Amino acid sequence: MKNSSNLASRIIMYLVLGFVVIISAFPIIWIIVSSFKTNSEILSGPFTLPSSFSLDGYIKAWQIAQFPIIYKNSFIIAILSTAISLVIFSLAAYVIAKYNFKGKNVLYSLFVLTLLVPSMARVQPIMRLIFALHLYDTKTALVLVYSTMGMATCLFVLRGTFMSIPTEFSEAARVEGTGFLRTFFLINLPLAKTGMATSGTLLFLGNWNEYYYAMMLTSKVSSRTVPFAITMFNGQFSFSYPGMFAALTLAMLPALVVYAIFQEQVAASLVASGIKG
Amino acid sequence: MVRAVGDLKIKLATVQNKMKPPTLTYKQKNLIWIWIFLLPTVVSFLAFYLWPIITLFYSSFTKWDGANPQVFIGFKNYITLFFNTPAFKVAMKNLALWVGLAATVHVAFSTLIALYLYRKPFGGRFVRIIYMVPNIIAPAAWGMIYYFFYQQDIGIVNTVIRWFIPDYAVPWLYQSPNAMIAVILTWIFYGVVGSLIVLGDLMAIPPELHEAARIDGASDWQITTRINLPLCRISIGTNMLLSINARIIMYELILFTTKGGPQTDTWSLPFILTGAIRNNQFGFANTVGVVMFLLGVAALLIINKVMRTSESVY
Repeated sequence: MKNSSNLASRIIMYLVLGFVVIISAFPIIWIIVSSFKTNSEILSGPFTLPSSFSLDGYIKAWQIAQFPIIYKNSFIIAILSTAISLVIFSLAAYVIAKYNFKGKNVLYSLFVLTLLVPSMARVQPIMRLIFALHLYDTKTALVLVYSTMGMATCLFVLRGTFMSIPTEFSEAARVEGTGFLRTFFLINLPLAKTGMATSGTLLFLGNWNEYYYAMMLTSKVSSRTVPFAITMFNGQFSFSYPGMFAALTLAMLPALVVYAIFQEQVAASLVASGIKG
Repeated sequence: MVRAVGDLKIKLATVQNKMKPPTLTYKQKNLIWIWIFLLPTVVSFLAFYLWPIITLFYSSFTKWDGANPQVFIGFKNYITLFFNTPAFKVAMKNLALWVGLAATVHVAFSTLIALYLYRKPFGGRFVRIIYMVPNIIAPAAWGMIYYFFYQQDIGIVNTVIRWFIPDYAVPWLYQSPNAMIAVILTWIFYGVVGSLIVLGDLMAIPPELHEAARIDGASDWQITTRINLPLCRISIGTNMLLSINARIIMYELILFTTKGGPQTDTWSLPFILTGAIRNNQFGFANTVGVVMFLLGVAALLIINKVMRTSESVY
């Protein structure tokens, strides 16, 4: 009796887990497989496999969606703003974690409380700021906005990382007369690699995938990012499904590669971004 | 002993003072560095958070189109939004439905997955890795994938239904209530972050608790419902909050599937916000922003109260 109910519950468990795998993997596999089909193959049925690997979709996507330009834009913007965020937030997180100064707790609480304000709610004032700086429709605008975007999560993760580094190292350095800067760059920063990798992956994925600010702050192709660009070209692809699917595949690819490499960091960073609340 | 150390310190200090006639002490020097390190973050906080938030609240009480001077009009934007904007009622009704589903089905499903993963099933690691994938894809791209899912000719949904009902042909994205169901299906089963947070809490439960329960004759079901779930109260609460906040700002998943349609049936607050900005109604747009912010805070307070997330579990 006990065994049979046990077996039933195990079967249900594997069915549910199988369902999870299918709904998570199938949409992406479907898009990737379909991107190698021809238009008529796609129209003949969604579950058929491509008869031959047709690269027409990719050629179309590369040209019509101007992937050379938008890839370059997206990479520049995502990498640059990730790097800037890591620099400025690691500096701040370090002193918050390791030093005592007046107003520290107030400042840290304010930084983390920014999480309560949805980024969309700040869009109009930020647009105005970007216009005032004459940066509308430039890559610089997006770099500026994106590099401040992950403030709360980043500070939270990096502060934790720096706090977990034993103070004895810094103390020993101080006794030997090592200055403030060297204590940071030569002793603490190299030990904060994990936290930097975690917040770095989170920031990069966020920047790579961001759509709303890209839509509000840019319009020319020369400053467009991938998520915004592929949605803009939806209409032009209306008679070419392979082109659209190829464009989607190209848009997802960098994020998938980053995930394949930094799998643990991605998991850790997503959990961290949830817990700070 | 303590005195001796104190004396030594004073001596050391005087020695140091004699060695170099410093204008700044070690501490003061550090303080300068501390603020240099904080400066970039403080500046970005002021420019991209504090000032925008102040503008957001202040301008929600003004009529402001960017060209003419800003005029203070009290609560007029709020009154217009609450009583004279039909789309607002639709968006709030949709939000209520989504929040209801988020706090129940969405959270329950991701918690169930966490409970399953906790049992270390065969292939559990694989499931965890794959379940994460939808979360790392751009919501815009995810919305577009689902857009193709719902297409009549090439889509998956209609094709699968046609295996059972041969003549089935429903334009999912263009008629109610299918459009609403279509939007909900883009997120309702995807809760990997929640699963991982709950799983973290499950892993932290001391094994002695389970052993003790088993000695007392508790079944697996009792251990799950009486011990594990109550001990995961905080992470489940966090999970709810995350899910509700995601509903308040839901935009891309709608924009690229139903485009908010048919008519305004699947609108969310960001649609009103974005539309108002495009019409240069900045005061009105920011009123919507304030409402979104306050809804998030309300969700936080309510969940804190209901799930007692600020009290310690153990």
